[in-house]
Amino acid sequence: MSVNGDSDSGDASGGDSTLVAEYVLGLLDAAEHERVRRRIAAEPEMAAEFRFWQSRLSSLDEGFAESPAPAGVLERVEGRLFPDAAAARRGGWWDSVALWRGLAAGSVAVAVAAIGFALMQPRPLDPDVFATQLVAALQAQEGSGVEFVALYNSATGEVRLTALSGQAIPNRDYELWYIRGDEPAVSMGVIPVDQRTEIELGPEAQAKFEPGTVLAVTLEQKGGSPTGVAQGPIVAVGTATPI
Amino acid sequence: MSSAVSEISDLIARTALRDRQAFRELYRLTSAKLFGVTFRILKDRAEAEEALQEVYVKIWRRADRYVAGAYSPISWLVAVARNHALDVLRARRPRNDDLDAAYDIADPGPDPERAALAGDERGRIEGCLDQLETDKADCVRGAYLDGYTYDELAQRHGVPLNTMRTWLRRSLIRLRECLTA
Repeated sequence: MSVNGDSDSGDASGGDSTLVAEYVLGLLDAAEHERVRRRIAAEPEMAAEFRFWQSRLSSLDEGFAESPAPAGVLERVEGRLFPDAAAARRGGWWDSVALWRGLAAGSVAVAVAAIGFALMQPRPLDPDVFATQLVAALQAQEGSGVEFVALYNSATGEVRLTALSGQAIPNRDYELWYIRGDEPAVSMGVIPVDQRTEIELGPEAQAKFEPGTVLAVTLEQKGGSPTGVAQGPIVAVGTATPI
Repeated sequence: MSSAVSEISDLIARTALRDRQAFRELYRLTSAKLFGVTFRILKDRAEAEEALQEVYVKIWRRADRYVAGAYSPISWLVAVARNHALDVLRARRPRNDDLDAAYDIADPGPDPERAALAGDERGRIEGCLDQLETDKADCVRGAYLDGYTYDELAQRHGVPLNTMRTWLRRSLIRLRECLTA
């Protein structure tokens, strides 16, 4: 039951197509649903059928009438996502692991390439034996074509940032952020795309820079976000990994 | 309309940046729609409320997976809510296999929400459904909007289970032909 040969709407693919439609409609029982889910994940033809049905059927979404949500739901959601530090025995850490797992997995190949790339830079590293080095490959989001590699050296407290691809956009600036766990993104300043940049981190940022810290680049108005909160779209993102 | 859409798209992107204010605003703008989804499918206010809570936890955690521009942000959000409500229904149904495992696995999935497409196909499916007989089109809508199973659809339409399966599968084949014509 693997590949179904040619595309088109012939009889052969009718079976799988219908099966995927049933999957999207939610008509399959738990075991069958899971089986089809795995096939969609593994087989491009099934994935294409899935996109077809999901997108077409989502036109029916208008049939869902709005109904005011009961009071208190948002508070409970926030209570779960942002527990107070005191109450947060199992707080942000696991949440952030789950959150960024997908990103990190996707970044591994680029990160490996990036390590080689970063090490080629002829800059003498601080001889401090205990220095930590982290690399993050910031991969393009939403087809932005903007990619960076960031190398952090704890001995110098410096992030070296190199653009691998991307174009400057008139009257806009790229801004770099770090995100740790569920804490809000913190700006590291505006960055150019056509040259290497070195950013010296303050003591507070240094303390927070560790494996798993996420770096993201957004496209902001000239000079960067005036509010200290990112306003533009994310164009690249990656997770810091120890070298 | 389109500015509302791009506003929601922005809010999702900012939610991915862990902007709690944006997340709150996203909730304010979209919770009525998503509660409409969970309530319609689960048909129980308390369950729908609990589902809504889970849905926004998922939205916070998965906001980074939303790809702006390629998809309608509302469709993406509805897909998260609808899939969660359907998971709840499925987990509730009696089965002899390991439900908990299936329920857990359903979570990180192949990113079903990703495929929620933009609105340019909107209306087309209605036209194609209109070409089916009324009660068959109702079955498709009933499955999508109410989460009805084959069993439930068969009972509602007063036909044997196997007849319902045949009806609906034929309808889906005809629907696909119409949508790709």
